Amino acid sequence: MTTDGTTRGVGDEAEVVEVKGLTKRFSPTVLAVDDVSFTVERGSVCGLLGPNGAGKTTTLRMLLGLIRPTAGSSWVLGERMTPGAPVLYRVGNMIEQAAFVPYLSGMRNLELYWEAGGGELADADFDGALAVAGLGPAVDRKVKTYSQGMRQRLGLARALLGRPELLILDEPTNGLDPQEMKRLRDMFRELAVTGTTILLSTHLLAEVEQVCTHAVVMDKGALVTSGTVAELLGGSDSAYLEVEDVPTALRVLESMQGVRTATLEPPGIAIHLEGVTRAAVVTALVAAGVGVDTVMPRHRLEDAFFELLGEGTVR
Amino acid sequence: MIALFRTELMKQFRRPRTYVALGTMVAVPIIITIALKLNPPGQGEGPDDLFFLSSSTGLIVPAASLVVMSRFLLIGVVSMFAGDAVASEASWGNLRALLTRPVKRGRLLAAKLSVVGLMTVLATALILISGLVAGVIAFGLHPLDIPFVNIHHSTGALLGDLVIAGVYVAWSLTGILTLGFMISTMTDSPGGAIGAAFGLYVTSAILDNITAIGPIRNVLPTHYFDAWTRLFTGHANTGDMWRGALLQIPYALIFGGMAWWWFRRKDILS
Repeated sequence: MTTDGTTRGVGDEAEVVEVKGLTKRFSPTVLAVDDVSFTVERGSVCGLLGPNGAGKTTTLRMLLGLIRPTAGSSWVLGERMTPGAPVLYRVGNMIEQAAFVPYLSGMRNLELYWEAGGGELADADFDGALAVAGLGPAVDRKVKTYSQGMRQRLGLARALLGRPELLILDEPTNGLDPQEMKRLRDMFRELAVTGTTILLSTHLLAEVEQVCTHAVVMDKGALVTSGTVAELLGGSDSAYLEVEDVPTALRVLESMQGVRTATLEPPGIAIHLEGVTRAAVVTALVAAGVGVDTVMPRHRLEDAFFELLGEGTVR
Repeated sequence: MIALFRTELMKQFRRPRTYVALGTMVAVPIIITIALKLNPPGQGEGPDDLFFLSSSTGLIVPAASLVVMSRFLLIGVVSMFAGDAVASEASWGNLRALLTRPVKRGRLLAAKLSVVGLMTVLATALILISGLVAGVIAFGLHPLDIPFVNIHHSTGALLGDLVIAGVYVAWSLTGILTLGFMISTMTDSPGGAIGAAFGLYVTSAILDNITAIGPIRNVLPTHYFDAWTRLFTGHANTGDMWRGALLQIPYALIFGGMAWWWFRRKDILS
């Protein structure tokens, strides 16, 4: 379309989000996001996974033009993201807790939000959005009377108002009860089927396993790993053991052929295997007189996640 | 841009506080009029005192109201509108939603500043209108004629002067308004921004009382604040009014420019 470096051709490219070397330094000592690159493909549900303080929210805020990157760039739907970029018309978002003008009704908040972006009320999907919010007559009540869960649902409605091609959601299930969480996860799958791309952040590994097709794992501002969830969950050459006599078990494992590493991860032991099966390890331990309580295969995603949570974390 | 102005205006007019603020602008001139009617001012104050003149015609009541209110309540209300403009949205968290709309930040600022300007004009106008209605009911619609000090103003001239006074007072608040607005873009605490705007007024007024600091007083944003009152007491000093009006321009440019510069670069963390 243009060659000024802000637009790239038409809107049917495979990458809906492309992040290149994104870095945000808030002060000389605070490096919130450190040279992060990843892409999100059209129609995927991508989970941005990491513990609190991993830089997830800062990354998402940069993707929406709320924070200016110190270095690197992000491209959304083929356009370079800048504050208030026109492409934001095609993006729905919810960042941290959904927040509104407290003295206006939920409905009025949605209308003003939509109109502030230059949209006609007729173009927005109020019916669909309100069905998601499920607020009933409460939608005409002032937002300050809403519970946390109601605000969160209204926030999702606001994000969906423009039938967005890309949804950017920061911890979307926070503040919802288990039933609402399930409903929301079902909705994500439905949206993905209709071609909506979803990028959501979470600190829950289970959430990624349940709803995401892709995952990007971050810790301390840096990218740890990324790929499809199937790929990250496959190839389990590591495992987690719980045994009766940990010191003896460690001695046995360390001297055993095919056990690359054996590290204490209270109350158990994490092992990486190379050329031996989990069954062989259990046999060896039992032969050495160590009772084995639990054996669990562990995947790359889990590995990455527990590694970054640090050793010694109780699971 | 027009859509943004409309949505911002709607936010303002759906807020109960707006009506409290504007209601005060209507109520106080009425209370002043009732007090003047019940207890007419004596002869001792001299013709420079607008309250002294106000019993001779209802057309002076709005001017007298404007003098007292522009020194405190109007400043408070304008500081509130200006300081609240951006910081209140930040404090609610709604700013992060608003700024993910496909709208340039400069435009949002322009829309918000326009609304604050409109509210300032409206607040000033309400003081005059309320004072005018109450004053005419209480003291009648007469020309101002006080032969012994040579003051003669026709009814039409007085009405014209009221309009000029309103425009002058509203414009004289520009420096305070833009400072409050600038701080509002920088903080998540509306109270801080409102306090800063009001603080600028108080500081300027205090410094202006210290004659020893000499010509520095002439560049204080409030130095010519009351220059318009001479319109009604017969010795209009249009030179001071022009200086007062022009003095607001550098303040507006500096504070407004800094607000724009800051907000366009700001990382929205609220």
